[in-house]
Amino acid sequence: MNNIYLPYLATIEDICEEAPDVKTFRLVFKDPKVRDTFDFKAGQFGLYSAFGAGESTFCIASSPTQKGYIQCTFRKGGRVTGALSDLGIGDTMGFRGPYGNWFPIDEWKGKNIVLIAGGIGLPPVRSVIWNCIDRRKDFGDITIVYGAKTVADLVYKNELAEWSKMSDIKLVQAVDPGGETPEWKGKVGFVPTVLEQAAPSPNNSVAVTCGPPIMIKFVLQALNKLGFSDEQVYTTLENKMKCGVGKCGRCNVGDIYICKEGPVYTAAEVKRMYNDF
Amino acid sequence: MENTLRQKAKELLEKGEVKVVIGYGWNKQKTHTTPVFITKPGDAGKLVFNPLCVNNLSLYLTKKFSDIKALGKPAIVAKGCDIKTIAVLISESQIKREDIVIIGMTCNGVVYKQELWKGELKPEIMPTKCHNCDVRNPLADFVIGEKIDFKAPDEPTGMVFDKIKGLDKSSNTERWDFWFEHFSRCTKCYACRQICPLCYCERCIAEKNMPQWIETSAHQRGNIAWNLKRAMDLAGRCTFCGECERACPANIPLNLVNQKLALVVKDAFGHKAGYDEKVHPPMIVFNMEDEEDFIK
Amino acid sequence: MSNKLLKKENLGKLIDALTSEGSIFVAPKMDAQQVVYAPVINAEEIVFDYIVPVNSFKKFLFPQTEPIAEFNINKEGVVLKGIEIEPKEIIIFGSRPCDAICCSSLRSVFNWDFKDEFYNRREDKAIVITVACTKADDSCFCTTVNLTPDSPNGSDILLRETTDGDYAVETITDKGKKFVERFANIFSLNSQVPSHKPIADVKPIAGIDVKKVKEYLKDTQHYENPLWAELARKCIGCGACTFACPTCHCFDIVDEGSAYQGKRIKNWDACQFEFFTLHTSGHNPRDTQYKRWRNRFMCKFNFYPNKFSSRGCVGCGRCIRVCPVRLDITEVMEKVSNQP
Repeated sequence: MNNIYLPYLATIEDICEEAPDVKTFRLVFKDPKVRDTFDFKAGQFGLYSAFGAGESTFCIASSPTQKGYIQCTFRKGGRVTGALSDLGIGDTMGFRGPYGNWFPIDEWKGKNIVLIAGGIGLPPVRSVIWNCIDRRKDFGDITIVYGAKTVADLVYKNELAEWSKMSDIKLVQAVDPGGETPEWKGKVGFVPTVLEQAAPSPNNSVAVTCGPPIMIKFVLQALNKLGFSDEQVYTTLENKMKCGVGKCGRCNVGDIYICKEGPVYTAAEVKRMYNDF
Repeated sequence: MENTLRQKAKELLEKGEVKVVIGYGWNKQKTHTTPVFITKPGDAGKLVFNPLCVNNLSLYLTKKFSDIKALGKPAIVAKGCDIKTIAVLISESQIKREDIVIIGMTCNGVVYKQELWKGELKPEIMPTKCHNCDVRNPLADFVIGEKIDFKAPDEPTGMVFDKIKGLDKSSNTERWDFWFEHFSRCTKCYACRQICPLCYCERCIAEKNMPQWIETSAHQRGNIAWNLKRAMDLAGRCTFCGECERACPANIPLNLVNQKLALVVKDAFGHKAGYDEKVHPPMIVFNMEDEEDFIK
Repeated sequence: MSNKLLKKENLGKLIDALTSEGSIFVAPKMDAQQVVYAPVINAEEIVFDYIVPVNSFKKFLFPQTEPIAEFNINKEGVVLKGIEIEPKEIIIFGSRPCDAICCSSLRSVFNWDFKDEFYNRREDKAIVITVACTKADDSCFCTTVNLTPDSPNGSDILLRETTDGDYAVETITDKGKKFVERFANIFSLNSQVPSHKPIADVKPIAGIDVKKVKEYLKDTQHYENPLWAELARKCIGCGACTFACPTCHCFDIVDEGSAYQGKRIKNWDACQFEFFTLHTSGHNPRDTQYKRWRNRFMCKFNFYPNKFSSRGCVGCGRCIRVCPVRLDITEVMEKVSNQP
């Protein structure tokens, strides 16, 4: 019987402690057939199981160009993320997916990409970043603006160092005022302000932004100020999910089911939605 | 009686003494009463009072109804049994006496379910609580209605208490079988919890998941856990408004378990809920003088 | 149209024939002083004088609680097994037209791209035998939502009560036709055209225009109308209406068990519960009761018809009858119809 609620089993191959309470897992599917054929697009998400605790929804943080494994990054917050945090290398967890829609990266060929993320909002954007870096010649300028509350809260610190060394990528890192350390060499300021200062051009560009809702609100305003139209800006919406396949009736924002018709939306689509988030 | 009530409500609203009157009104077809929230003096005519007024409106004074609280100081149309619940809420610091205005209604009883009403209040369609009521003339800020001459029986009587006596005589196995059968119909809709004014926890234990103390599934284990936990939480606090049983879509006889525990508390601690708002219910306080002879 | 007749006295034979084959016969039955859909083993248990049973029969197609996977955790890792169901044939006798039509609504959501076999396998084995309504009560409003008390939509067999107390049989689907052929010895031929009892006269509620309600809900600006807070103020946030409703299907997936073994379980859930949409961060998009009630109303009259082209509300009136504070959905429909 085709059981749509049955997850794939995956082994945790690597754990990276990104920030206090934030971990990245690298997962390899146990079933070799799944491991070899699994494919997804940047922006899609999955439901990750800690057996005995339940399932939790995170995006797939690795890029589809990286084969053989997937990565997820999460913050320990409740029952399931707490149980996942307790797992170690070699332990088994579950994965259901990929679900949802994706960033239309193919439509962005030849365009400049501006990626803005805050705190734990970097994982979904990271999938796009690596996807673009792996197909670098398909795109124009790539600008990344990323900020977190404090230096310790920045995620993917190794990769941020890698990206800052790439000559064909402009990376602006920031921490909130008060979050800097004496050694901090990046900017100090909230992400929307830092974005305005970086002033990427809206010509032939698309912007991708993820982060806390309050940050997104001000980033959208900043992008509008810089001349970006709402159709040029992509963001992800999140909501509490359980089934991930459009049946449990939980994740809807008005008549839009985030798990089936999202999580990726343009700012224009978001503005048309019912005020239910 | 209704006219006096409407006058009083209009007066309180016009003078600005209260901002909302929580009372009973008719539904569109005038077959059922339903809670109404009167904020304009002109709407006071919507208020009614009759034997179909079964709801315990003190529910709307609890903290989870933040949008009702936001309307301002309430006046509440309350029967004697509802006022008992208000007394328990005050004793548990959920409301302050001076923050509400109680319009007490003298009451000769209500119907067990509104569908049973056929024009006359016959004893057989009244719930057990009414046959044992000793608050037909309530204590309130304003009392509306004629004084009622009714003496409650010395020993609790009526269907609920007869059934409790029957269960007391049966064996442990028979009792478990009885309750397993009834709780098997539970669908975990939580209507019992939501309609109960004393179930005001901001996050019910059934909704906590670290750990999941009470399983949410509607299987035998989950149902027994939920129903018995709720009964234990109400021991010594429940004022027998009977709303939980009325609200239950599966007709589980919740009054039996709640009233049995009330009798146990009365025996052990000499406490009856709802008669003195200055006395804390025994299960939530510790007293050095508490007898412990029931621990064997 | 078939020319068959089901005599009431033959119901017992039908039940015996079916239960001896291992099938389950569900019919309206008296349980705890109310009429509910429940399995019966003989015809004497069936209640014939009812409007609609208090519950809907969706629990036989979509159980209140059911395990979907089992897992064992040991030092080698996790052994995970999905649950496979082989449901027995289930005959739902005495359904009403408003109940029968729920199948198409549930089917549309449980097959939206991903096919939920837990529902599909059960529905494939179900045979819905509807009895057209000869009476209704104040809470019925099927005609207001464009249904009728004798609509065949969703049923496999439609029975109409005759003045003799028997049923005139009309097979609607192939499944229904095969069923009648299978029990040809129980379904007798009509010797003469039976006279039917008159179908219930359910007048559509005058102040409600369902089209206007749909139009009003489409506009996202109307979502913020303070009207919603006023209309849903008395709602206490229980799940009674949701669990009684034939088309409500929201569910929760939880793990139960110990550190070594457990089950993953699918349970009924309700958007009326406070923590239905609570995020781990503490943010709750529907943090007050009127927002939750507004979502239910929108789902019934806007999302279901638009997304799934199926009925959200069938007009059975169960939510009205079961609501502890008598929050009447038709009163809200009327207020919304009359909004400018």
